[in-house]
Amino acid sequence: MSALFLAVEDPSQTHHWLFPEGYELLFGSLATAIVLGLLIWKAGPTLKKGFTGRTERVQKELDDAAETLAAARVEADRIREVRGDIDSERRQLLAEADERAAALINEGRARLAAEIAEMETKADADIAAVNSRASDEMRSEIGHLAAMTADQVVEQTLDDETRQRLVEDFISRVGASQPAEASS
Amino acid sequence: MSAQTDERIDGYARGLFELAKAEGTLDEVEDELFRFARSYESNDDLRDALSDDQIPPSKRQAIVEDLLGGSATPTTVQLISMVVGSGRGRDLPAIVDRMVQRAASAKDLEVAEVRSAVELTADQQDRLKAALANATGKNVALKVIVDPSVLGGLVATVGDTVIDDTVRTRLDQLKSRL
Repeated sequence: MSALFLAVEDPSQTHHWLFPEGYELLFGSLATAIVLGLLIWKAGPTLKKGFTGRTERVQKELDDAAETLAAARVEADRIREVRGDIDSERRQLLAEADERAAALINEGRARLAAEIAEMETKADADIAAVNSRASDEMRSEIGHLAAMTADQVVEQTLDDETRQRLVEDFISRVGASQPAEASS
Repeated sequence: MSAQTDERIDGYARGLFELAKAEGTLDEVEDELFRFARSYESNDDLRDALSDDQIPPSKRQAIVEDLLGGSATPTTVQLISMVVGSGRGRDLPAIVDRMVQRAASAKDLEVAEVRSAVELTADQQDRLKAALANATGKNVALKVIVDPSVLGGLVATVGDTVIDDTVRTRLDQLKSRL
């Protein structure tokens, strides 16, 4: 309607180049009030509902965020706790590993020492056995040679006179003995 | 040695003893048999020839007659031929030893087997017999075997008693100590 008034009036005829006429101001204000009233009456609840929903949604999101934050904090605490357990477990494992390694090293050293001692003992025994065997073999060889030599010397030096003397010695010795002394 | 073999040896010994006794040459035959038995023991070839069943009995008897024909009494030769011919050559030493023991027992004597490197004179044998009788307390019938392996000295065996004073034994003892 204002546009209609504007269209039919000549701008140059208005009382002021900026302010409308009084009736225009009145009707304009009434129309504005009606429009605003209609808007408040019809769109107000919807807008209010929308704002309330948005507020609730934002609040829910805030609550969810807070809940998530709390859960994250709990999870962080749990992770810290687990990490602490892991650290403790790691320290324990490392300590056990160190202990086991030390035990293995000690055991290995002891075994090595025992083996070395055993090898030394065996080597000593082997050396003694070789010495003894060599000595025995030498004695045996000397004995064998001496026996062979004795055989040859005796056979060569036993003449008839010696043999007869041995016979006579036997007869004299046996003849002088008593029955209990006879066996030899 | 089985009982049957032992009985057979004893039977042959008894036969030899009775035959020699009947011939009246017991001492001489006994001595010759003893010497032959020792030779038989020490001579591998002779032992193999007289105990080989593959050689005919007549051949074995011929070997005996060739060996003893001129050096032993006919009774000795016949007795050995009989034993060898009957296939008992392997048992000859045992038969002769049993026969010698039987002859000694008949005269209440113990056989004294003496091994010597040299022949003993009659005087030495008499003195040795007396010495052994003195040492053992038994009357002995001396059987001397000339065995060069003893080297010198004598070894006498009377029953279970052995008197050994040979050079061989002394050498063996020396070897053992060495």
